[in-house]
Amino acid sequence: MNTLRKSKKNIGFIFILPWFVGFLVFKAYPIILSLYYSFTDYNFFRGVTTYTLQNYKDMYVNQTDRAALIVTIKYVFMTVPIKLIIALGVALLLNKRSKMVNFFKVVYYLPAILGGSVAIAVLWKAIFNDNGLIHGLCKMVGMQAPKFMTNPFWALFMLGTLNIWQFGVFMLIFLTALNMVPKELYEVASIDGAGRMKQFFYITLPQITPIIFYNIVTGIVVSFQDFNGPFIITRGGPLGSTTLMSLMIYNNAFKTFNMGKASAQSWVLFVLLAIFTALAFITQKYWVYQPEDDGKK
Amino acid sequence: MKNKLLFGLMIFSSLGIMTGCGKEKAVTHTDSTGKITYEECTLTMDWWGGDTRHEATQEAIKAFEEKYPGIKVEVSFGAWGDWETAKAAEYIAGNNPDVQQTNYDWIAKYDTYGTTYLDMNTVSDVFDLSQYSDDVLDMVKDSNGGIAGIPVSITGRTFYWNKDTFEKAGLSVPTTLDELVNAGKVFKEKLGDNYYPLSINAYDRAILCAYYLQAQTGKPIINEDNELTVTKNQLEDGLKWISSLEKNHVIPTIEYIDGEGVESMDKSGRFINGEYAGVFEWDSTSGKYTAALGDNAGNLVVGNVFPELKSYSKVSLMFSISAKTKHPHESGLLLQFLLNDPEGVKIMGNERGIPESKAAYDALLDNEDISELSAQAHKAVLDSDPVFWNPLFDNSLLKGDTAAYNVVFGQLSYGKDVAGNSYGVSDASEELYNTYMQVLSEN
Repeated sequence: MNTLRKSKKNIGFIFILPWFVGFLVFKAYPIILSLYYSFTDYNFFRGVTTYTLQNYKDMYVNQTDRAALIVTIKYVFMTVPIKLIIALGVALLLNKRSKMVNFFKVVYYLPAILGGSVAIAVLWKAIFNDNGLIHGLCKMVGMQAPKFMTNPFWALFMLGTLNIWQFGVFMLIFLTALNMVPKELYEVASIDGAGRMKQFFYITLPQITPIIFYNIVTGIVVSFQDFNGPFIITRGGPLGSTTLMSLMIYNNAFKTFNMGKASAQSWVLFVLLAIFTALAFITQKYWVYQPEDDGKK
Repeated sequence: MKNKLLFGLMIFSSLGIMTGCGKEKAVTHTDSTGKITYEECTLTMDWWGGDTRHEATQEAIKAFEEKYPGIKVEVSFGAWGDWETAKAAEYIAGNNPDVQQTNYDWIAKYDTYGTTYLDMNTVSDVFDLSQYSDDVLDMVKDSNGGIAGIPVSITGRTFYWNKDTFEKAGLSVPTTLDELVNAGKVFKEKLGDNYYPLSINAYDRAILCAYYLQAQTGKPIINEDNELTVTKNQLEDGLKWISSLEKNHVIPTIEYIDGEGVESMDKSGRFINGEYAGVFEWDSTSGKYTAALGDNAGNLVVGNVFPELKSYSKVSLMFSISAKTKHPHESGLLLQFLLNDPEGVKIMGNERGIPESKAAYDALLDNEDISELSAQAHKAVLDSDPVFWNPLFDNSLLKGDTAAYNVVFGQLSYGKDVAGNSYGVSDASEELYNTYMQVLSEN
C-alpha cells in the first residue's frame, strides 16, 4: 500500500517535471541572475568588471532615475482610479436586460484587445500630435488644444488615456460582480424607501468591494509595467515626463547595454509593486466586504 | 516482449531520423566566366534607409540572383529609427545576418574584439579591395587589424535649402552665418511665425555645435587620441550660439519640432510644404529629401558649409559580413556585385552617397548616374576641408533617445530640466562636458 502511494506521488512529480524544468530555466534562473547582475556593472559587450551598489544608489541620487520613479507612480495613480470609475460606470449602464446590451459589451471590450498594440499607439500619436484629429476638432470650434506631445503634464495625461481606454476587461469583471449581488437586497431596500443612489452606495458598492479590490491590484500591476505607449508615442519625452520605469529599464538594457543598472531598476520596480500590492492587501480588511463576516460584526 | 519490441522500434526509427538529418553535400556552381565557383545557398542581408534606397537595393539583389543562380538572398530593411537597438540585440544573440549594412562607430561598439565582423581580407579572392584607398580601409580596421567592413562612401553634413521659400521671403539662400541669422528675422516678418529658415533636432544641434567649435579651434571636437579639444567655457559658448539661433527665429524650438510627432525631417509636413526652409543633413541623403518634396523637388538646392563652421567627414556607412556566416565566399561575391561590379553599382546608384570604390565611381560617372544634388553636397563638404571624426562622438551615452545630446539640447530648448528646475546654458555645458569626459574615460 505504501509502495503504491509512493509511486502515485512520483508519477505526479514526473507529470509536473516539464513545467518545473521550464520554470527553473526560463524564470528562476534569469531572476536570480538579474539579482546578481544588479550588483555589478555588467555590460553586454564588456561583461562584469566590478561589483557595486551604485545602481541602487542612482535610484535616489540620479535626478533622471528618480524622476522616472516619480513619473511611474504618478501615472499609476492617475490611470487606475479613472479606469475603475469608468469601467464601473459603464458596467452599471450595461447591467440591464436589453437587445443592444451585448453589442455594446463587445464595443466596449474591443479596446482591451486592440489597445496594447503598436498600431493603436501609432494611431494615438496621429490623433494627438499638433496636426492631429484633436487639434483639428478644437480648431473647428475656435479652441486651442493643449500640446499633448510636448507639454510634460498633457503628454503624461495623453498616455494615460491610452491605458484608460482599455477598461473593457474591468468592465466585464464588474458586470459579473453586479449580476451576483442578491436581488432580494434591492427589494428589501426599495420596500424600506431607499432610492437608487442609496441602494448603489449602501448595497451595490459594498457587495462588489472584493471585485474592486481585485481590479485595483491587477490595475496597479499592469500600469506599472506599461511600455508600448511611452516607447512609441513619446519616446519618454518631453523632458523625461513620460519616461516610465519600464522604458528606463529598456533604454538601459538595450540602448546603453548597461544590464547591471537595468537589472537593479527591475528589482526596484518589483519591490515597489510588492509594496503597493501588500498595502492593498493589508488595508482590505477595513473596506472589502467579506461574506463570512456577516452577523459577526 | 511487447515492451522490447516497442523499444527496438524506437531506437531504429531514431537512427533513421538522425541519418536523414545528416549534412547534405553542397551543390557547387560556376559563374558565367567559368572562373568563380560558389555553393548553392541562402544568404541573409539587411540595411536601413529610405524608400528609394530600399527599391534600388532590392533590384540590385535580384540582378545578383540572376547572375549567380543558386544563391538566394533573403532581405530585411527598415527606417533608421531604433534600427541599431534591434541590431544590437542580434549581436548579443549572435544571429546577425550574413551581410549587413553597418555604421562606422559599430566597430568600436560591437566589434571590440574583432569577432563580430569578418575580416574582409579573408574574402579578397572574390572582393576587390584594391578599389579602395589604403587611407579609407585603415579607418575601418578592427582591434586585430582586420578590415571590419567596406566603407561605401565618405560623408559629412551640409545644408539643403528650399529656395522657393527663401524667394517668397525675398531672399537668396544663405551662404554665411550672418545671412542665416538675418533670414530668421525676415521669415518671421514676411512669412509668419511658423516659417523657419532651418529646422534641426537635438542630434543635428550637437553636430552643428561641433562644427561651430571646430571652426574656433581648428581641431576635431574629439581627436584621434580620444581627447576632448574644447574647454567647458568653449562648449558653453557653442551652446549659447545654438540657443541664439532659436531666439532669432532661425530654428524652431524642440517643443515645436516634436509636436509634429514625426520620426525624421523628410516625413515632416512642415518641410514638405516649405515651412521649414532648410535642413542640415548628410550629403548622402539628398535622395530622400527630393523624394519627400515630390513635384517640388526642383526647389531643393545644396548650400555650402558656412565659412564660420568647420565640418568633419566620416565613413557614411559600411557593409560587413558576419564573422559567424556559413557562406563567407558567397557573401563576398554579393558585396563585390553590389559595390564594385558596374552592373550592380548602376542599379544601386548613389543611394548611399558618392561611392568610395573607384570602379563604382567610374561606372556611375560613365552612366551619368551620380545625382547632381549628391555630387554638389559631397563637394560642399569636401570644400570645407573637413577634419577627423571620432566614433566616440556617437557613443550610446551621447547619442540616443534619453542620451546626453537629446537631454541637454532638449532641456536647453525648453529652459527647464526633467525636475522642472530652470536650465540654462551653463547647466547644459556642465552636463554635456561631464558626459564627454565620462565617455572618454570609459574608452
